[in-house]
Amino acid sequence: MSLRVGVPQGLLHFQYGVVLERFLSELGAEVVLSGETSRNILDVGSSLDEMCLPSKVFFGHACSLRDKVDYLFLPRLVSISRGQYTCPKIIGMPDVLRNNGGKLPPIIDVNVDMRQKPRQLYQAVTDVGQLLGRGVAASLYAWFKAWHYREQTKPMVQDGRLRIAVIGHPYIIYDRQVSLGALEKLDKLGIQVITPEMVDAGEIDRAAAKLKKKIFWSNSHTVAGAAMSLMDGGQHVEGIIFITCFACGPDALVGELIRQHACQCNIPYMQLSLDEHTAEAGVVTRLEAFTDMVKRRLGT
Amino acid sequence: MIVTFPHMGTMAIVLKALFSNLGCRVLVPPPTTKNAMVLGVRFSPETVCLPFKLMLGNFIEALEQGADTLVTCGGVGPCRLGYYSAIQQQILEQLGYQYKMITLEPSLAAVYRHLKIVAPCTSWHQIYRAFQVAGAKMNLLDDLGRTVNSLRATETLSGSANLLWEKAILEIDRAESCQEITNLRQELQQKLQAIKTVPGKMPLRVAIVGEIYVMLEPFVNQNLERCLGNMGVEVCKTMLLSDYVKGHLLRQQTYIALYRRLSALANPYLCHYVGGHAQKSVAYTLLKKQQGYDGIIQVYPFTCMPEVVAKNILPKVSQDIDMPVLTLAYDEQTGEAGIRTRLEAFIDLLQYRQAKARKTGEISAGSYITQKGC
Repeated sequence: MSLRVGVPQGLLHFQYGVVLERFLSELGAEVVLSGETSRNILDVGSSLDEMCLPSKVFFGHACSLRDKVDYLFLPRLVSISRGQYTCPKIIGMPDVLRNNGGKLPPIIDVNVDMRQKPRQLYQAVTDVGQLLGRGVAASLYAWFKAWHYREQTKPMVQDGRLRIAVIGHPYIIYDRQVSLGALEKLDKLGIQVITPEMVDAGEIDRAAAKLKKKIFWSNSHTVAGAAMSLMDGGQHVEGIIFITCFACGPDALVGELIRQHACQCNIPYMQLSLDEHTAEAGVVTRLEAFTDMVKRRLGT
Repeated sequence: MIVTFPHMGTMAIVLKALFSNLGCRVLVPPPTTKNAMVLGVRFSPETVCLPFKLMLGNFIEALEQGADTLVTCGGVGPCRLGYYSAIQQQILEQLGYQYKMITLEPSLAAVYRHLKIVAPCTSWHQIYRAFQVAGAKMNLLDDLGRTVNSLRATETLSGSANLLWEKAILEIDRAESCQEITNLRQELQQKLQAIKTVPGKMPLRVAIVGEIYVMLEPFVNQNLERCLGNMGVEVCKTMLLSDYVKGHLLRQQTYIALYRRLSALANPYLCHYVGGHAQKSVAYTLLKKQQGYDGIIQVYPFTCMPEVVAKNILPKVSQDIDMPVLTLAYDEQTGEAGIRTRLEAFIDLLQYRQAKARKTGEISAGSYITQKGC
C-alpha cells in the first residue's frame, strides 16, 4: 500500500499546491488533502496566540489531517526566489506546529531555501524523494513532470464591467472562509475583479523595481508590484481594495506603500483588515459602500 | 549638515561620539517621550510595530529642531526593520520635510560610500579614532549596565545603584578620548565596589529575552530592569548594544561560537532562523535554565513577526524544562499598572517556587552561580 501523505491546504498551498500534489503522487504517495477551510478548522487554529489568521488556518488544516495520514508534508519554505524570504511565520510554521499540535504524524519538513542558491530546490526535491523511497533521478523526473502543472497567469479579458483590483496574498483572497467570499460578493455587485495573479510576472517585477528599496518578502513583492503596475500601467482599474489580515507584518508596510501610491494616482483605495472575529455583514456593507462610491465617482 | 539618528536606550551617546568625532554636527533628538510616540503613531501605518512609530517620532522631532541628515539602519529581512527606512522616507517626504536619509545597509561597500558622504575629508586615522572612542563608550555603558542590573537586587541603600548609573551616563557622554574613558572605567569600578550590599542575600535571578529595541529602550519597556531591581530581582539582559554590534556587525569569533551553540540548543524546538532574535529567545531560555536562573521574561513589540513565532514555542519549552516564562508585548497602548501587576504576580510565583525548592533542598547555596557567567 502506498504511503498516505497529508497536505494542508493553507498558506502557500494556494500558489504551489497543484505542483506539490502532483509531485507527491508522481513519487507514488497517496495525497490526502485537508479540504476547504471550515469553521472547525478555524476554531482549532485559534489556539495559536497573536499569529495572523492564515497561519492559524494553516495550523487548523494540519491538525485536521492528524489521524488520516502517515506523514504530514510541510516543507519549510524559507525562500522561493533569490534574495527574498517568504515570511517569518511561514518559515517557523513546522516548529510552531510541532510544539503546539500535540500528537502528530511525522512531519516532512525539508528546507527550501533559494535565497542564495536557487539550486537548493533540487536538494529538497531529492530529499523528499529519498524519504518516500525514490532515487535521485526518479525524484527529479517527478518534479519536472509536476512543474508543468503550475498555475499560469490568468489572462485578463475586458468584459465591460467596472474593474476593481483586489490586492492581497493568495491565501487570503482565495480562501473563502478567510476573505468571507469577498471575490464572489464583488462579482455579484457587478464588478470585474482583478487579482495580482492576473498580472504578468514581468510587469510585476518592472513595477516593483521602481520602489525605493527592493521588497525582501516574495509574496509582498508580488502584491506590491501588481498593485503598482495596475495603478500606473495599461490595465486601468477604477479602485483598489487591499485585503489584509490583522497582524500581518509585511502588509502593514506594503499597505502603506500602496495607499500612498493610490493617493498620488487619485484612485479610490480601501483596506479591509480581517481576523477570526470579522462578521460577514461588516464586509458586505463596506464592499457595497466602496462600489457605490466608485460608481458615483465615474458618473460625475 | 546636521546629523541625527533614532534613539535606542543609550545608543545616542555612542552614535553622538562617533559622528562628532567624524567631524559632523550632531543633533541628538529629544529623549523618546509621549510626544515622540504621539507624532509617530499619527503618521505611521496602524499595525506596524512600535519601533517604527517611535523612530519616526524621533525623526520628526529632530527635523523640527533643524536636523537635515537622518542616519538609520537597513537590512535584508525577514524582519520588518530592514524595510523601515523606505517607508519612513515616503512618510516624511509627504509631510514636506527637506532632508537626506542615509540608510546603512549591511555591506562594507555601502558603509564606505556613506562614510564618504558623512565625513568627506576625514583622514583614515580620524575615522579609526572615532570608531574607537564610540566603541569604548559602548563597552563601558554595557558593562556598567550589566553590573548595575545585578547590584540593584542586593544594595543596602535602595537607589544607590540607580544614582550612580544616572551620573555615570552624563560622565561617559562628556568623555572625549579613549584615555579618559579608561580612567572613567576605573573610577566607576571603585564607586561600584563602594556600594554596600546585603551580605549573603540570594536574590531571584531573571533573564530578559526577546526583541532588542524593546529590551533596551526604557521608555518602551517602562524601565523593566529597574522595576524588577526594586522588587529585589537580579536582571540579566541577553542582548545589549555591544552584543549586537560585535555579534551581528563585526561578527567576532567568540560571538559566532556562542550563536552556534545557541542555535544548537534551540534546535529541538526551533530549528531554523526565522529573523530577528526568535531563535535566541528560545535558546537563552534553555541556556539560562542550565545557568540556574529562576525565570524568563520575553519582551517584544506587539505584532513582531519573529518573536511571535518564539512566543508560540516558548510554552512548550517552559513546560519541558520547568522554567517559568512571562511574555510581555508592548505597544502604544500598554498601561503601566497592567505590566506592574503581571510582573508582581510573576515574581510572587518565582519566590514561591524558590522557597519550595529550598525546603526540599533542591537548591543548595553552593549551586548559585555568579552573574559573571552570562
